[in-house]
Amino acid sequence: MATADSIYGLFPTPADAQRAMDSLRDAGVAPARIVVMTAQPFEEYGFMHVKPMRTNMYKIAACGGIIGGALGFWLAWYMQVAYPFPLTTGGMPLVAPWPTGIVTYELTMLSAILTTVITLLVTTGLPSWRKDKIYDPEVSNGMLLIGVIDPAENAREDLEARLQRAGAEKIKGTGRFTR
Amino acid sequence: MLQKTPEQINEDLLRPLGTTSITYRLVLILLFIVVAAGGYAFGSQIYNGIGLAGIQRPVFWAFYITNFVFWIGLSHAGTLISAILRLCNATWRRPVTRCAEVITVFALSIGASFPVIHLGRPWLAFWLFPYPSERGIWPNIRSPLLWDFFAINTYLIGSVTFLLLPMIPDFALVRDRAVSNIRKKIYSVLALGWSGTPKQWHRLETAMHIMAIAVIPVAVSVHSIVSWDFAMAPVPMWHSTIFAPYFVAGAIFSGIAALIIAMAMLRKFLHLEEYLLPIHFENLGKLLLVMSLLWVYFVASERLTTWYGNEPADMAVFWMTQRGGFSPLFWTMVFCNFIVPFPLLAIKKLRTITGCVIASIGVVIGMWLERFLIIVPSLSHKYLAFSWTASAYRPTWTEITITVATFAAMALLYMLFAKFIPIISVWELKAGQHPAATEELARLADGQSRLADRLRTQREAGAD
Amino acid sequence: MARQWGMVIDLDRCTGCEACVVACHAENNISTVGEKEAARGRAKHWIRVERYYEGDFPNVTAKFMPVLCQQCGEAPCEPVCPTFASYHTSEGLNGQVYNRCIGTRYCANACPYNVRFFNWFNPVWDEPLNLQLNPDVSVRGVGVMEKCTFCVQRIKAAEIQAEAEKRPLKDGEFAPACVQTCAPKAMVFGDLNDPQSEVSRLARSNRATKLLEETGTLPHVTYLKRDSWNGTQNAAENS
Repeated sequence: MATADSIYGLFPTPADAQRAMDSLRDAGVAPARIVVMTAQPFEEYGFMHVKPMRTNMYKIAACGGIIGGALGFWLAWYMQVAYPFPLTTGGMPLVAPWPTGIVTYELTMLSAILTTVITLLVTTGLPSWRKDKIYDPEVSNGMLLIGVIDPAENAREDLEARLQRAGAEKIKGTGRFTR
Repeated sequence: MLQKTPEQINEDLLRPLGTTSITYRLVLILLFIVVAAGGYAFGSQIYNGIGLAGIQRPVFWAFYITNFVFWIGLSHAGTLISAILRLCNATWRRPVTRCAEVITVFALSIGASFPVIHLGRPWLAFWLFPYPSERGIWPNIRSPLLWDFFAINTYLIGSVTFLLLPMIPDFALVRDRAVSNIRKKIYSVLALGWSGTPKQWHRLETAMHIMAIAVIPVAVSVHSIVSWDFAMAPVPMWHSTIFAPYFVAGAIFSGIAALIIAMAMLRKFLHLEEYLLPIHFENLGKLLLVMSLLWVYFVASERLTTWYGNEPADMAVFWMTQRGGFSPLFWTMVFCNFIVPFPLLAIKKLRTITGCVIASIGVVIGMWLERFLIIVPSLSHKYLAFSWTASAYRPTWTEITITVATFAAMALLYMLFAKFIPIISVWELKAGQHPAATEELARLADGQSRLADRLRTQREAGAD
Repeated sequence: MARQWGMVIDLDRCTGCEACVVACHAENNISTVGEKEAARGRAKHWIRVERYYEGDFPNVTAKFMPVLCQQCGEAPCEPVCPTFASYHTSEGLNGQVYNRCIGTRYCANACPYNVRFFNWFNPVWDEPLNLQLNPDVSVRGVGVMEKCTFCVQRIKAAEIQAEAEKRPLKDGEFAPACVQTCAPKAMVFGDLNDPQSEVSRLARSNRATKLLEETGTLPHVTYLKRDSWNGTQNAAENS
């Protein structure tokens, strides 16, 4: 699979990246086609929030917990009654309430945790080891990557100029725009 | 804070992954030999019988269960530091979180191996797992040991994910800088193809937040359940309602001590003096002081109510620990857990890195003794005096070897981890160095510039 | 009504001869552990005679009583076993299933009477004692907990025989090894739910007491106190 077409610039500081983002938005590039990659979550900066970030992770984790809790309750109940003859111990009832509660609680928490992990992996698209992704190892060195995916051919000059003006240390491209 | 460029941070924190000294290799081999000795002891026990250990009737639990509770307790370091401080937005936790989380995962793994080691028939340990067996029987969840099974497994899975999730961006970092092909391949797999888009960051941070909320009640429940292994049995001085909070507080206490020791060693051997600062040790030292006082509170409460209640069976155990055969260990424990740490941590001048480390070593020893003193005196002196131990419990070579081997295993695993994965969370550290920092960072910066002045004057003085 | 096996031990008749201990070893395939291990407290005596000395010389008295598994109605050893090796049978016994035991030894810690014994090593019988093993009782291997079963093999054998002969069990028809061996007839065994049985009758005696009753274990073994604890000295006065 060939790498997608893109033009991007590598910026040394978040202020430069913010300028670049503002410049790209001025040029009318849609948020869905802007690609941002950083080595840290720069939460305070606007360029990280171009696409609105809403997530249902909390609710999903809670639901996962409830479902896991129900399963845990069933398992705890089943383990105490699943015999041809009742195995009574120490004067306790056959389905002892406190141990049932403890096992239910632990499995609730376990499901909430596992649900969170699975939701994370699913929503971020990880793991994805595709070789054709847009990525530059300079990002790990602290560079911020701001670019445009699938730009129009005639917009190339304009975009590169905008990125240059915003303070890009390097301007690169992938796919058709490789340089 | 001494603002470091990202390149400098990368350089400093990734250096241990590249260079390996001869000393490191030698220490690794030595630790491996000790761990192998522990394995041999365990193998002997399986081959010859658990009777090789010093346990006897009525002291059916001793060293192995002491170690079990001790290591599970130690594992509460990571939860407190990472989860609670993360939820409180305490920025000084950033260099410290991964050190703590690693302690949790390894201590928990070691602790969870002891229920297998102490069994009479360890090859049947899998019967604790709930599965529809061909014998037509499920495990008994009325037993606190089954609660242990569920709780420890939940906590282990939770801790491992809590450790692994924030490592993904750091795996990406190491992947991008890896020189050898094999390393690059391995780290690529581990990094799961992370690129660092805003969506990925947002989801990761949300997931970490949920995990932090979830893992705290799990940690509290784990050590409560471990304490109920004792509190649920009608044994003098075991059958007490205070056990659950007492054990959780003790666990956090020993966990912070272990963290301070680990951080001090990392600081020295990996040259992380500019990342693990005296302020970190001071803050953890203050926490350790609070936990020490809390420990004294719990012990005093328990002993006061026992003494006042004056029940004969309880009092027999009480006097054994306070004045009888176990009193040397008891007073050593008080010395190590309170008398030594209190001045070292309460007096600001003494609350240096060295002071904190000495206090922590004392706490680790003291807490191990505390676990021992909860288990063995009570079991030696149950209700019927005729069955009080004929000969006092003494550990044998298997128990001592396995105990020492677990400490070696912890050190070994930690050293291997620090060799292959950055022990300080690189992206979190960088994220904490923003210009748009909170006033907490400004305060840290103030402390940092005083350190810088001190270092400069020291350098100048040394240069003369 | 289901049977509830129980025992009464008359401490006035007990002489502390420990014949019951030997009989139990013989009946239940209990191995000796050797001098070294016994000194470490690892001897396995499912029934033992506990002995306490009171007073100083020359006014010393010995108080002794046989202690065996009390087959508690609400046994603390039962809920704590993770594999159901210790459970409550429908006939009021605390059952120990050797095959299920993985050797956590929690039950032994929970037992207030210290009547549970562990196999620290594989049992050994020097020849020719190995030829004397009881075929009705399994031999426990290393890592397994064991304790008095009220000679459940004898109970089961008698029940099966009575059912085959289509008749009810008679009181006193069979007895565990210790009860059978006791020369002064201090031990009585039977069905506590049968109001006519001797064990029920004796359990209602005004000398009846239970061991560690305050722990709430509801033991099935009742002890009949001596009228006077002064032993033979004052026996003449009290008779």
